[in-house]
Amino acid sequence: MDTIIIDGLSFALPLFIIAIGGIYSEKSGITNLALEGLQGFGAFVGALAVVLISKFANVEVQSLFYVALLFSIVGGMVYSMLHALLCIKFKANQVISGVVINILATALTVFLTTQVNSMVFGAVSDKFILGVSSRFTIPGLSSIPVIGAMFKDIYPFEIVIIVIACIAWYVLYKTKYGLRLRACGDNPHSVDAAGIEVSNIRFKAVMVSGALSGLGGMCFAYSISANFSPSIYMGYGYLAIAALIFGNWRILPTLGACLLFGFAKSGGYELGQMLALPSTFTDLFMILPYVLTLLLLIFFSKSNRAPRALGEIYDKGKR
Amino acid sequence: MSKTNHTKQKNPNIIYRAFLKCMGNEKWQPISIPLFSILLSLIAASIIILLIGKNPLQAFYNLLQGAGVLPKPVYAGYKNMFTDFLTMLNAMTPMLFAALAVAVALKAGLFNIGVSGQMLLAGYMATILLGYSDLNGVIAKPLVLIIGIVVGAIYGGIVGWLKYKFNINEVVSTIMFNYIVQYVLSFFINSYYIDPVSRQSKYIKDSARLTFMNVEFAGLKMDLSIGIILALITAFIIKFIVDKTRIGYEIKAVGVNPKAAKYAGINVGKNIVLAMVISGALAGLAGVTYYLGYFASIQPKVLSSVGFDAIAVSLLGNGNPIGIIFSSFLITVIDKGSTYMSSTAGVRQEIASVITGLILLFSACGTFIKYKIERGKEKCFEASKINSHEDSTVNSTNVEDTENLKKAVEKDSLLREMDGNGSKETKESILKEENERKEGEE
Repeated sequence: MDTIIIDGLSFALPLFIIAIGGIYSEKSGITNLALEGLQGFGAFVGALAVVLISKFANVEVQSLFYVALLFSIVGGMVYSMLHALLCIKFKANQVISGVVINILATALTVFLTTQVNSMVFGAVSDKFILGVSSRFTIPGLSSIPVIGAMFKDIYPFEIVIIVIACIAWYVLYKTKYGLRLRACGDNPHSVDAAGIEVSNIRFKAVMVSGALSGLGGMCFAYSISANFSPSIYMGYGYLAIAALIFGNWRILPTLGACLLFGFAKSGGYELGQMLALPSTFTDLFMILPYVLTLLLLIFFSKSNRAPRALGEIYDKGKR
Repeated sequence: MSKTNHTKQKNPNIIYRAFLKCMGNEKWQPISIPLFSILLSLIAASIIILLIGKNPLQAFYNLLQGAGVLPKPVYAGYKNMFTDFLTMLNAMTPMLFAALAVAVALKAGLFNIGVSGQMLLAGYMATILLGYSDLNGVIAKPLVLIIGIVVGAIYGGIVGWLKYKFNINEVVSTIMFNYIVQYVLSFFINSYYIDPVSRQSKYIKDSARLTFMNVEFAGLKMDLSIGIILALITAFIIKFIVDKTRIGYEIKAVGVNPKAAKYAGINVGKNIVLAMVISGALAGLAGVTYYLGYFASIQPKVLSSVGFDAIAVSLLGNGNPIGIIFSSFLITVIDKGSTYMSSTAGVRQEIASVITGLILLFSACGTFIKYKIERGKEKCFEASKINSHEDSTVNSTNVEDTENLKKAVEKDSLLREMDGNGSKETKESILKEENERKEGEE
């Protein structure tokens, strides 16, 4: 039971932060299928920075954890500007732009990883080894039965994510900028009429989504895979998109969806272990989160309402 | 944006004008703009290759050599340029089918991101039903194709039905199906059909394989793909269906503006399902030509990247089946030639996918380039007028005229974009309305 909660949380929270990024972008009216590429690129930049710093400054990779998070945020943000540029300035189809960003991210990061590995480290490898980040347990709280597991073996990034998620929630729902952002997704003309630049707000929203996705990707790299490799493109970004649609483009329900994914995933894995079935059967349990999503979507998606201007290119002259 | 235009207006230099001339008129732009994007991406790729200290021209030359388009200096026994080319065509077959699948769905405004999953399921079903049977090749091969079509069509149909009936976004449902298919099939393959040495499913019998491997002819060993001929024919059939038939017209109408289509008496739900059925069937064909043609086994827990690259290919081909033939050719050449390039030019193989990505990036800017060209033409027109008439009054009216014209052009191009993108929201609301109506009738 404990492991289900521990593993579930460590999977759900990075997914959640990526999904929040998606919410920011989609609430502002920009469809963001690029989350997958953004999280991968962010993780790549973070991993690259850490590996290079540890090489030239002789620091242990493990101790550069927060540096990695910082660089991944910057990396994701810079790369997301490409998506923003395509969607807002070049008026490209947002879905197509997202897919292109994903394909380019995979290609670029794999190419650069092998290139850097051979040029700087003289090794033939498509990985940057990072190691798993250290964990900690909160002494008092962790001894509570059942719920206590939430405070056991916490990755430091989980705390970071929760803090950032709270800030993101506050900004989106309680500030002027958040109000304008949400208005951009539903009725951009009213925002324009109020004298605010729509493209400016959207550009910033996409950059926020890039930053948060980059952070999420880095967390996955530090926990699940313990390295940066092409396996980071496992579809976390798409899963986050599913979570945010399932959460009806609102932050709290999206958290619920992410937790559901996380617990279904770790629960399915545990179930396979408990029944002591041969290892091939774990594959069958792995489908649990996806089947669950589909079933729940069948029941709930009728009431789902996307932001009204989602995916539309803003045109001042259009009525 | 306006600043750069202003400078161009002042001195419309000869190169810029020549460029505008090259890009041609409305009729040529569907061809000239992708070509221009490819050129831009090759330039960008050259810069990357130069940065790592290699000769880009050499690299591109090797790329073409590796794909069998240009002759290599040395060949292994039984091989020459022609056999390399045939191998490349063999790899191009699933790509072409998959790109057609994406294109058909796009015509209806649907985004089939799950082509890979559809390919996998179709390939798997054909493999277990026919791949290990003792049927004669003459019967087995057509059956493989039929199974591919049927499995893919059902799969696509389910996605379309979920969209129509439950308003489930097709992007989400196809992604979920991708995972489910991938994991479930990995279980079955690992449990029943695994080859302990290669860690893949057991090789299928040659009778069921859609490619004749290592056919000896005139002292050469070549891979003859049946699929490529079929794929080319299919491309023309799809072109015909989309452009000339009622089905195609209705699907396109739904894709452009579902509300208008509904007012015109077109059944929106039926056409969404139909488009997904066709798309799925094509993806199924891609699957059988991939897993029972290009390869002869299935690697468990791996989705092929063909389904995702196909999105790109169909985008590059402007969603036009004939354009897709060329774009899939180009992307496959880059992909297949990369191995040879990395061994001879010393440029990493991964650069191939970077080039592909760059091509896509620039072709995504297609509408913007088009818009720029139209703007540029207006400017040149204006400038030449100013040069010929020194009279200030004529000048000013001219400027006004062109301002108006420019605005009209701008609006026009934006409107066109709107059409192309289609509004998801309205489509969904229509679906909802229709559902409600049906329920009411019941």
